[in-house]
Amino acid sequence: MSGDDWLRKDRLPHIWCAGCGNGTVVNCTLAAVDEIGWQRANTVFVSGIGCSSRAPGYVLTDSLHTTHGRAIAFATGVKLADPSLNVVVITGDGDLAAIGGNHFIHACRRNIDLTVICMNNQIYGMTGGQGSPTTPMGKLSTTTPFGSVEPAFDLTELAKAAGANYVARWTGFHVKELTKAIFSGLSTKGLAFIEVLVQCPTNYGRRNKYRSVTDQIDYMKTHSVLKQKADRLREEGNELPEDTIILGEIVKRSLPAMGVRK
Amino acid sequence: MRLVIDEVRCKGCNLCTLVCPYRIFKPGTIANRKGILVPVTDRPERCTNCRLQKIYGRTLCGMCQMICPDQAINWVNEEVYEPHRVVVED
Ligand SMILES: Cc1ncc(C[n+]2csc(CCOP(=O)(O)OP(=O)(O)O)c2C)c(N)n1
Ligand code: SF4
Ligand code: SF4
Ligand code: SF4
Repeated sequence: MSGDDWLRKDRLPHIWCAGCGNGTVVNCTLAAVDEIGWQRANTVFVSGIGCSSRAPGYVLTDSLHTTHGRAIAFATGVKLADPSLNVVVITGDGDLAAIGGNHFIHACRRNIDLTVICMNNQIYGMTGGQGSPTTPMGKLSTTTPFGSVEPAFDLTELAKAAGANYVARWTGFHVKELTKAIFSGLSTKGLAFIEVLVQCPTNYGRRNKYRSVTDQIDYMKTHSVLKQKADRLREEGNELPEDTIILGEIVKRSLPAMGVRK
Repeated sequence: MRLVIDEVRCKGCNLCTLVCPYRIFKPGTIANRKGILVPVTDRPERCTNCRLQKIYGRTLCGMCQMICPDQAINWVNEEVYEPHRVVVED
C-alpha cells in the first residue's frame, strides 16, 4: 500500500472487529497523505473518542486522541497556534454530530484549514450500539429497539450549509474514489469534510439483519447514486427513494478560510 | 511478485473476495490457529500486480489491498510468479 510507511506497524493487528470499515478508511487516508507528500514532522492527526477515533493511534506521526466530541476543538487550537502544520481530524458520527455537533458547524463556519474525515457507521460502536444522530429511520439499535423514529442528520448538507469549502461523501467500498476525495480535501484551503459510510458489523450490521460484512457492503453499493445522477433525476421530476445514499463531491468552493499557511 | 495474506493480521472478513476482477480470493473453509477462516487464493499468479508491478514500477490495481481493513494483503518479491515474460514496446 502506498501509505504503508505511515502505519505504526508495531500496533497491528488493530483492535477493530473483523470486517469493520474503519481500517479501509485508514488505508485510503494514508494513501492520500502519501500521495500529497506531506512530511511526518509537520502533520498532526487528531481524534475524539470512539472506535473510529482510535485511528490516529495507528498513524506514525504526532497524534492526539482527545476527549469525546472535542477533536475539532483541539485541532482548531493546533492549527491556529501553528498554521504551518497539516492537521487531519478523524472522527465518528457520534463524536462529530452528537456531542461534538457545535464544534463541527462552527469549524465549518470559520472555515478552518482542517481536513475532517468522518467514519459514519450510523451507530455508537464503542459503547455497544446506541443510536446516533445518523441512525436512519426505522433502523435498530439498543436505544431504538423498535426502530429509530427520528430523522437522521445529513452530515454533508450540514457542512455545506455551515460553509465548509470542500464536502464529499463516499463509502468504504469506493476505495479509489474515496482516496481521490481525501486527496482533494487535503489540498483544499479551508475546511474539507469527507463523510465515509462504513460498516459496523458488530453493532449495526448484526442488529439490522446484515448477516455478513459483505451484505452491508452490497446494500451500500445498491442504494447509492452519484450526485450528478441524483441531480439529473430530480431535475427530470423523479422522486429518489428515501434511503438513497448520494455519493460524490457535494461542494467545492473557495470561501475565505482561517488558519491557512501564509 | 507473489501475493500473500498475512495470517496474523487477517480477520477473515472476506471483503477481498468482493473486489478482485479475477476472483482470486475465495472464502476460506479451514480455521487457522486463531480460529480465523483466512481466504484462499486461486491461482494468484493471474493478479495484475503480481505480473506487472516490476515492469511499471508501481502498484497496479491494488483493490484488494486498499479495501482490506486489516492491512493483511501484500506482495513479496518472487520471480516464480512472473512466468509469462511481458515485453513493453517503446
Ligand atoms: C463525555 C463523554 N460522554 C460519553 C462517553 C461515552 N462514549 C464513548 S465512545 C461513544 C460513542 C462513539 O460513537 P461514534 O463517535 O459514532 O464512534 P464509533 O465508536 O461508532 O466509531 C460514547 C458515547 C465518553 N467517553 N465521554
Ligand atoms: S464495534 Fe463496530 S465500529 Fe467498533 S470496531 Fe467493531 S465493527 Fe468497528
Ligand atoms: S479483506 Fe483482509 S482481513 Fe478481510 S479476509 Fe481479506 S485478507 Fe483477510
Ligand atoms: S491487486 Fe487486483 S488483481 Fe491483484 S489480487 Fe488484488 S484485486 Fe485481484
